[in-house]
Amino acid sequence: MKKFTHEGHTAHQFDIELNDVKHKVMNMGGLVESMVHDGLEALLTMNAELGAKVSLDDKKANQFELDIDEDCTRILARRQPAASDLRLVITIIKTITDLERIGDEAEKLGRIGVKLANERDIPHYYKDLRHLGDHVKSMLREALDAFTRMDVEAAFRTAAKDEAIDMEYSNISRLLITHMMENPGHVSHALDMNWCARSLERIGDHACNICEYVIYLVEGEDVRHANLDEMRKRLL
Amino acid sequence: MNQESQQPSSRGSATELVRAGLKRRYAREKRFRLYGLTAIFGSLAFLAVLIISITVRGLPAFQQTFIQLDVTLDAGTLGLTDNPDNAALLKANYNGVIKKALLASFPDVKKRNDKKALYKLMSKGAQYDLQRKLIADPELIGQSKTYWLPAGDDANGYMKGIVDTTLPEKKRRFKDNQIAWVETLKSEKRIAQRFNKTFFERGDSREPEMAGIRGALFGSILTLFVTLMLSFPVAVAAAIYLEEFAPKNKWTDLIEVNINNLAAVPSIVFGLLGLAVFINFFHLPRSAPLVGGLVLSLMTLPTIIISSRAALKSVPPSIRDAALGLGASRLQVVFHHVLPLALPGILTGTIIGMAQALGETAPLLMIGMVAFIVDVPTSLTDPATVLPVQIFQWADLPEKGFVERTSAAIMVLLAFLIAMNAFAVMLRRKFERKW
Amino acid sequence: MNLEQDQAEQTIDEIVASLGDTVGETRVENPKMSATGVDVFYADKQAIYGVDLDIANNEVIAMIGPSGCGKSTLLRCLNRMNDTIPICRVTGELTLDGEDIYNKDTDPVLLRARVGMVFQKPNPFPKSIYENVAYGPRLHGLSRNKADLDDIVVTSLRKAGIYNEVKDRLDAPGTGLSGGQQQRLCIARTIACSPEVILMDEPCSALDPIATAKIEELIDELRENYAIAIVTHSMQQAARVSQRTAYFHLGKLVEVGDTDTIFTNPSHELTENYITGRFG
Repeated sequence: MKKFTHEGHTAHQFDIELNDVKHKVMNMGGLVESMVHDGLEALLTMNAELGAKVSLDDKKANQFELDIDEDCTRILARRQPAASDLRLVITIIKTITDLERIGDEAEKLGRIGVKLANERDIPHYYKDLRHLGDHVKSMLREALDAFTRMDVEAAFRTAAKDEAIDMEYSNISRLLITHMMENPGHVSHALDMNWCARSLERIGDHACNICEYVIYLVEGEDVRHANLDEMRKRLL
Repeated sequence: MNQESQQPSSRGSATELVRAGLKRRYAREKRFRLYGLTAIFGSLAFLAVLIISITVRGLPAFQQTFIQLDVTLDAGTLGLTDNPDNAALLKANYNGVIKKALLASFPDVKKRNDKKALYKLMSKGAQYDLQRKLIADPELIGQSKTYWLPAGDDANGYMKGIVDTTLPEKKRRFKDNQIAWVETLKSEKRIAQRFNKTFFERGDSREPEMAGIRGALFGSILTLFVTLMLSFPVAVAAAIYLEEFAPKNKWTDLIEVNINNLAAVPSIVFGLLGLAVFINFFHLPRSAPLVGGLVLSLMTLPTIIISSRAALKSVPPSIRDAALGLGASRLQVVFHHVLPLALPGILTGTIIGMAQALGETAPLLMIGMVAFIVDVPTSLTDPATVLPVQIFQWADLPEKGFVERTSAAIMVLLAFLIAMNAFAVMLRRKFERKW
Repeated sequence: MNLEQDQAEQTIDEIVASLGDTVGETRVENPKMSATGVDVFYADKQAIYGVDLDIANNEVIAMIGPSGCGKSTLLRCLNRMNDTIPICRVTGELTLDGEDIYNKDTDPVLLRARVGMVFQKPNPFPKSIYENVAYGPRLHGLSRNKADLDDIVVTSLRKAGIYNEVKDRLDAPGTGLSGGQQQRLCIARTIACSPEVILMDEPCSALDPIATAKIEELIDELRENYAIAIVTHSMQQAARVSQRTAYFHLGKLVEVGDTDTIFTNPSHELTENYITGRFG
């Protein structure tokens, strides 16, 4: 594994700029992580207040994306980064897109939480999302950790978890179909719940993308759409 | 960065310090400029004084006093027989004819001393003028003609106002009766100043009014010709070899040191060398422009080599790279590109060397070019003298005519030098190219 | 960095030895020129250490690296321009079409006609534009008559993309052109000798960006017909014009590879440091 650093440039200001933008990404990651947490809580506890907060946070996340995009554009224009610096900037640009989408998904969860808060006769099986949600949350945290530490090993490990999440999602989907068939009056709820499960699954996908970017950033190899196991054997 | 320097207080005091020193700095600059200007104007003033004094003293030499005489070229007085041959014509008594003509002009002069004084009005060279005229046209024998013949040195001096007539007669060479005769001639318009062609047409002479610069001028030209023909090709070839081809090792270093030393050797040493090698060993003729040229070549070589090397060195290496990169051989690089670009510099060095050679006296004294030579040299082995040596000789002589001729010869030497430099500037202009 | 601290205590030779073997593929199929184990010495000082490198046809190879890394030295070995430096000694094998160019039988004049060179500073001869271009062909007797020569001059100027700018003033001095035009004139002058390889030693370092862009465009066009090696201090330029890039450090070829790879994901740490601006 290669040693990875983006410091030590002859132009010290460049170090500062890169660090700056990297910190912003971490802050954005923290924000998005808390949004997922809050969104999930809002959904599970049917907390309208928390749901509204997530919507508000989403605006912040969008602003983060714009900011960081601008920083990256400026670095590209003024520093013409190459090699690892170039990969870092590109990784950041891609990562924030994924983070922003994760934010959107979290907001969806929150929105449904707000909707549920005003309804009665809510089926119990919403609670089933907790397990999936926890799983996704931990994956997102690990992905962000891997990004922060530029840890390829952790990235591979985290990316591998996506499969389990996909599996869990399809389980929930199957379960929901059964519910809908048994209880046609709950179709709209079941669809909502499927949306939520789908959102959580998407968050897992985005987290997986971030892991792949980290691998690309550190190793310089694009591992998207590739067999992770083989890659892992080759790189580590 | 030093943090203290960024604090406003110390920044302010620094400005104050700089401002305090500014006045002194400007004053120093002003003083320095003043020194420079003083030096330049000082030297210009000296140059002007030199040129003016030489011109004032030398200009009269370009004028010569002539006296009109009715000369009867009768064969008896001349001591000629019928149909004389050249040898007889050369030996004829032209003085007698002139004396007769003088006596005829002033019939009252009877006393022996007075007659001698009267004869002195005419130059001793007057007879040679007649001699030449007669040899050119022997038909003139027996005829009576009016000729303008050169006046003697004293009469010449009197006409130019150099004789101080306020002195008592005993203290001057030009006596009262002579003054009276000249005044008579003047009133009859038979004495006049004319352009001194003799100065440019004759070689040296013991008589100032008959002495000319032509011998020395041609001697200089011949000597410089030999110098140029020998030193230029040899020096340029040596410079090219040393600069472009020779390996850089201790031998070439040694040669370089020696060339630099040679340039600093006193010129008289070259004269001794020339005497020992060219005259005593090779038995080349003394006083010849050939030997003079050889000796001056030795002296000029290091100057031209050094300046040529500098000129070659100053050709940008990128030009060499370009030509080499296109596949030119080293020799082609030098002759197609480097030499043409270095030529202006080489020519400057050559002209400086030539100017040095032109003004050189000491080594030429050693090889006998200081001899009294009347004839104008026509070949490289004829005995000759050169301009600076001629000036040196004339400066030693007491006659008024030689004093002014010394200055005139200096003017000729300077004119020669200026002409040479102008030629060099012209050549430079022609070859100079920008890169 | 650790490396820099070590450098103070180690001798150059030790550092060079620590650099290890060249990373990446030094060989290509059908190389035009090929260096194998080339060492270059200036008197006792070694300037290049065992370089293996191929130069391919129809390809631009960029040589980059910090000052004094030997890239220019290697370039000048390729057409034996170093012959003019008496203390310079080259060992190892350098071939052109498989023939050793440092062989006794190889004539450097012929070699330089086949391997042309463009220099850092535009250096047209102080002659007319026409004479500048005609000099090489005339030297090598490439033209039978005046019309032939005219043809060569015009074609070369055209190939160098400068013909339209100078066609009305072929008699004007080459030194009167702008810097970029002068450099293109020098390229035309090189092309006129019909070389097979063109070596360029920082050809744009004295030029403004627009002139640089024109030269880079020209280099890209020339690639169709020549093998080109370019030494440059501008990494962006190397990235723009070359297909392969070789990174030199302290006289050693550290890494060579596709330009795309070198500029996005170099393998050697030193290459990475140099490309990202972390050097010194």
